[in-house]
Amino acid sequence: MRRILLNRFVLVPGVIALATLAWNLYVASHNHGLVTGRVIDAKGEPVADASVALWVYNFTTYQEQMHVKTDSAGNFRFTDNPSHRIQLSAEKPGVGRSERVPVFLYFRAEDFSLDAPLKLARGE
Amino acid sequence: MNRYPRWPVHLALIMASFVMLVPFYWVAKTSVSGENIYAYPPSIVPAKAQPFFYVDVWYAIPFARYFLNSVAVSVIAVLANVIFNAMAGYALTHGFRGKNVVLMLFLSCMMVPFQATIIPAYLITGRLGLLDSWLGLALPQCSTIICIFVFKASFDAVPRSLIDAARIDGLPEWRIIWHIMMPLSTSAIATNVILAFIWSWNNFLWPLIMTRSADMQTLPLGLARFLSYQEDTTGALYAFCIMVLAPGLLLFLLAQKEFIRGLTSGATKG
Repeated sequence: MRRILLNRFVLVPGVIALATLAWNLYVASHNHGLVTGRVIDAKGEPVADASVALWVYNFTTYQEQMHVKTDSAGNFRFTDNPSHRIQLSAEKPGVGRSERVPVFLYFRAEDFSLDAPLKLARGE
Repeated sequence: MNRYPRWPVHLALIMASFVMLVPFYWVAKTSVSGENIYAYPPSIVPAKAQPFFYVDVWYAIPFARYFLNSVAVSVIAVLANVIFNAMAGYALTHGFRGKNVVLMLFLSCMMVPFQATIIPAYLITGRLGLLDSWLGLALPQCSTIICIFVFKASFDAVPRSLIDAARIDGLPEWRIIWHIMMPLSTSAIATNVILAFIWSWNNFLWPLIMTRSADMQTLPLGLARFLSYQEDTTGALYAFCIMVLAPGLLLFLLAQKEFIRGLTSGATKG
């Protein structure tokens, strides 16, 4: 039995199958489409009530898919991102707008938290 | 004791290997960097390696479905090749009336390209009701003449007395093949498996002709479909190539020892 299990024709496909199973379990437990992050102004202060847009890649271009507003601490949260390749941007009249930040995910609807906050600046 | 130094041979082999492997390296590098292949100066090491082109490929087309189709067709082709070619190879180790004619027919058929017989193959597959099915996709590759000769060469090396002893013990012919010839021909089996798998895996023309629904397409067709979808294909295209090549490469690396032994067994036997 041990000899069969250590045979390379069993061992290699077995390891690949196990890795695939583990990956799929990980994907199944982390694909809720959550995208979170923060919006700050030029001074680094959190911006409340800013509009954050989620852009989804559509073969050739990015299309604006949905909007959310930031809370009082400048945090935003999308709950149903459908894609693996998105962009995030934020704006608030009177404060400014941010650059579009591209985000590449390892799988579709991966739960993701943006490390660097979206920074609003005038004239962007 | 060697009379001549071996390093020139090794140097030549290293240079030849380098020339062979550079395109593979370039494909792998571009698949993780997306750098334009015409970029000058070319970068040897990818600047910002990332796996996201692979993710793009996975979602741009129904990759899992195409992969399943390719695997199913290849498995059918491999099993059929091993079974049918072993039977044909075993028959050719025997002396029978017209054996030379059969051998000549086989050899001459090897010179007829598949493109020349694709219309009859299509009509036969259609009459059998196998168009747009896994079995129909695998059908023209269920036996290949080269692999029959690989089995024949391997079976020829088995001592005749062993087969005679099995016959005296009352074994039927199919059990002689299964229990005596096959265990002694692992190299030929490996060669059959690898060649049948790679030919089936890479086949483009036959699946293009005989598949009707998008769900029955195989990976090479998926590559063509993918090219028509994506605009900027540099990184993703190369990632796709790696994903298509990987199973064949893995199979070859797993069975290369038996494969090489199988190909050379006919040439080196006494």
